Amino acid sequence: MDASLLTALGLLDCVVFRRLSSAKFEVLYRAGNWLDELLPEIVDTKVFCFAQNSAYLEDFLIDAENLWQANKNGRIESGLWSEQLSTQLVRLEASAVVANKQNYLIVSKLEAKYRQKQQTLQIARELLLSSDKISAQHDYLHSRLEELLSQPNRTLTAQQPIAQALTQTDLAVAILDADLHLLNSNPALRTLFDDTNIKIGLPPDKLLLELFRTQYPECERIFSTASSWTGEIYWLNPPQQGKWLKLSIHPIKNDEQRVQNWLFSVSDVTQVKYLLKRNEKLTHFDALTNLPNRQYFWQQLESKIQQNRPFYLLYIDIKQFKRINELHGHVVGDEVIKDLSKRLNAITHVDDMIARIGGTEFAVIMQLNHLHTHISSQDQNQCIKFAEELIRVSCLPFYLSSGLKCEVGLNVGATAFPADTNSAEELMKYADLAVYSAKKKAVSSIEFYSKELIDASRKRIDMENSLRSAVENQEFELFLQPMLDLASGKIIKAEALIRWHHPNGYLVPPDEFIPLAEQTGLIIPIGKWVVTEACAILKRLAEKGEEIKLSINLSPRQVNDRQLFEFIKESVTKAQVNPHHLELELTEGVLIDNYDKVYYLLDEVRKLGMSVSIDDFGTGYSSLSYLQKLPIDRLKIDRSFINEINENSQDSDGAIILAVIAMAHSLKLEVIAEGVETVLQRDFLKLNNCNIAQGYLFSRPVPYDEFCDLLEGQKNKN
Amino acid sequence: MIQKKICMLGASGVGKTSLVKQYVEGIFSEKYLTSIGVKIDKKQIETAKHPVQLMIWDIEGIDRYCGFQAKYLRGASAFIIVTDHTRSQSLVEGLDIFKMVKEVADIPGVLAVNKSDLAASWHWSVAEVNEIKQNFNGFFNTSAKTGDGVEAMFSHLANILTE
Repeated sequence: MDASLLTALGLLDCVVFRRLSSAKFEVLYRAGNWLDELLPEIVDTKVFCFAQNSAYLEDFLIDAENLWQANKNGRIESGLWSEQLSTQLVRLEASAVVANKQNYLIVSKLEAKYRQKQQTLQIARELLLSSDKISAQHDYLHSRLEELLSQPNRTLTAQQPIAQALTQTDLAVAILDADLHLLNSNPALRTLFDDTNIKIGLPPDKLLLELFRTQYPECERIFSTASSWTGEIYWLNPPQQGKWLKLSIHPIKNDEQRVQNWLFSVSDVTQVKYLLKRNEKLTHFDALTNLPNRQYFWQQLESKIQQNRPFYLLYIDIKQFKRINELHGHVVGDEVIKDLSKRLNAITHVDDMIARIGGTEFAVIMQLNHLHTHISSQDQNQCIKFAEELIRVSCLPFYLSSGLKCEVGLNVGATAFPADTNSAEELMKYADLAVYSAKKKAVSSIEFYSKELIDASRKRIDMENSLRSAVENQEFELFLQPMLDLASGKIIKAEALIRWHHPNGYLVPPDEFIPLAEQTGLIIPIGKWVVTEACAILKRLAEKGEEIKLSINLSPRQVNDRQLFEFIKESVTKAQVNPHHLELELTEGVLIDNYDKVYYLLDEVRKLGMSVSIDDFGTGYSSLSYLQKLPIDRLKIDRSFINEINENSQDSDGAIILAVIAMAHSLKLEVIAEGVETVLQRDFLKLNNCNIAQGYLFSRPVPYDEFCDLLEGQKNKN
Repeated sequence: MIQKKICMLGASGVGKTSLVKQYVEGIFSEKYLTSIGVKIDKKQIETAKHPVQLMIWDIEGIDRYCGFQAKYLRGASAFIIVTDHTRSQSLVEGLDIFKMVKEVADIPGVLAVNKSDLAASWHWSVAEVNEIKQNFNGFFNTSAKTGDGVEAMFSHLANILTE
């Protein structure tokens, strides 16, 4: 086939130059009339120098020169560019090549490649823009509404700003009560389902619920665990074309952290789906990660079930991903998801299938290598091993193009087909329950669906309900553990420690209910109760003439509560207690995770006269720079270090304690030792200038009256 | 005549190509046609000191399909970050691009908030935008459709570059 035919077919519309020296080129092959206009310097000549007629090409020559000078076989591309000539707009790409010790420059006219790329990207970008606009609008309005509704003492239906916002917004909104009965909705919701051709048997809110229930097996779990959810539902409204709706569901909790309302917000994303349909790849594949999407995964799951071969379904959720989006924005978030998907995909077996089934969720169908329905411990181990590998690759740091470094973890839930169930819907539901259980753990982990898991989940819900009642019925009591000045041996302070009097008659220790309170947000009302009660105790002590300081513990979630400072301030004022008698205790972890918030809080409380101590010192992060920066008064050496002081201990066992005391004193901080149980420990601490001690050697935490007796006894001794 | 290379940067769909088309040819099209790669346009302009030829590099929108390419900034005298005030995310992305440019080139940058013929519907407050624009060497509300702010923006840049 000769060159002219290739040119006519548009296959060889290019020019090939050989580089003779750093500025000189020889024309080896040329086609196309566009060349003479683009590079007039090559007209009627074989050897030429570039004459600055194409800025883009001249710029590429700098990179090309580097390649040629290196003199190693290779090729680099310029990327596509366009040149406006007098009669036509040409799309070009240049390549610099080193082959057989010869240097070449090729400039090709690539109309077809350009058109093809533009067609694909046109659809993808239109989609991106539509989706971006709808999502941004949806998310913004949803979060504004959520913020409005979450403000304390709001009566939903009566609030003027909310009513106005609802009437005016394009976002369809339904506000339901805790039992999912409609309280309020807006015109946009009615418009969404308003179609005179169709007789809808259900009101819009009920229809939404019905669509959610039938299309998402996770539905039941979302409501029973008061979780938030966002996803897409499809409303098939024959004879019309059907609508795709983006639905966000969010529980609104009251001060006692009980669900008071459900906020449903809905946007019509049919246009986005329509654009997706124009490109088959986009219909079944997620645009960001290129992995199969939820719809495609669902089809594959059903077809796997048809094959009747055993497999595990793994439901994967990225741990605390919200934080990355909040800290660094969605662009960074997207980059992390993209990188993570590549890592997960790379270790997924070729016969298995991985898909992105939600914003931060992936799912894997992990095929087992046998045909019988029984799942052996070997199978489970294989699944654990795979999940651990998924977790391992996701925990490696992500180095992003902007120079940022991010880290994520994974929650993995697994369920087995057909051992657990043979229905696709139930498999998804069970895997979702399992992943929800894995989420409760602080570190990345895998949970298998089991009857026990359901029982544990039920037990947890029962416990949660009891704890809610405990908050409402005030079933708590503050016990006080004395803290003694080691030099004088006198009680100068006490730590307030919460106890729960369960209606069944037993006393629940804090380590059994505080973690649950943290997870459910009940720590906020419980923490407020502690502040109020501590102030009441201080008042009673002051009335008895006891000048005792009381310390209370603050949890991470409390520190994030914007109203905490105001609440403490109000409580102190209301109880008319001296703020100097109140001390706040925070752990190291709280300081590091919320540095800015904590700094503000501590600064403000200290301005009021309260003091601050760092609890469990030495067990958390090793960064000590915050000790200098943060406004604090005391360090509490963790009990694990005190434990090491015993009859068998060697000189080195007290080294950390001595180092902490020396460091604290040089920073002008006092030192408290907790968990002091023996005379030996007390003497060691006293000898080494530790200021204050607390522990069973002196007294265990006791009710208020007993604490008063201890104070009384101390007085009588004197 | 002095030539100055100016790079048009921003997320996809913000109107970079439309701004250049309006400035160079006085044309606007409502139809969105995504750009691929680079297109260079030239325009001669008078400044307070002397005429200058602007070489405007219209660079493909930076998004998940096309990353930031530092090589396009080689030899650039200035850049324009284009955003669209009907899309909040375009400013977030514009600021990310701004940071990336500043890491590789110490050249003046102008912020263009485009589509001013449409009602603003992004969620950035005036105060936030005012704070953001402090980092730039110029700020313009532009409309590629009506031409508002377009000439002024390029003239401003040309004057900065010939000072």
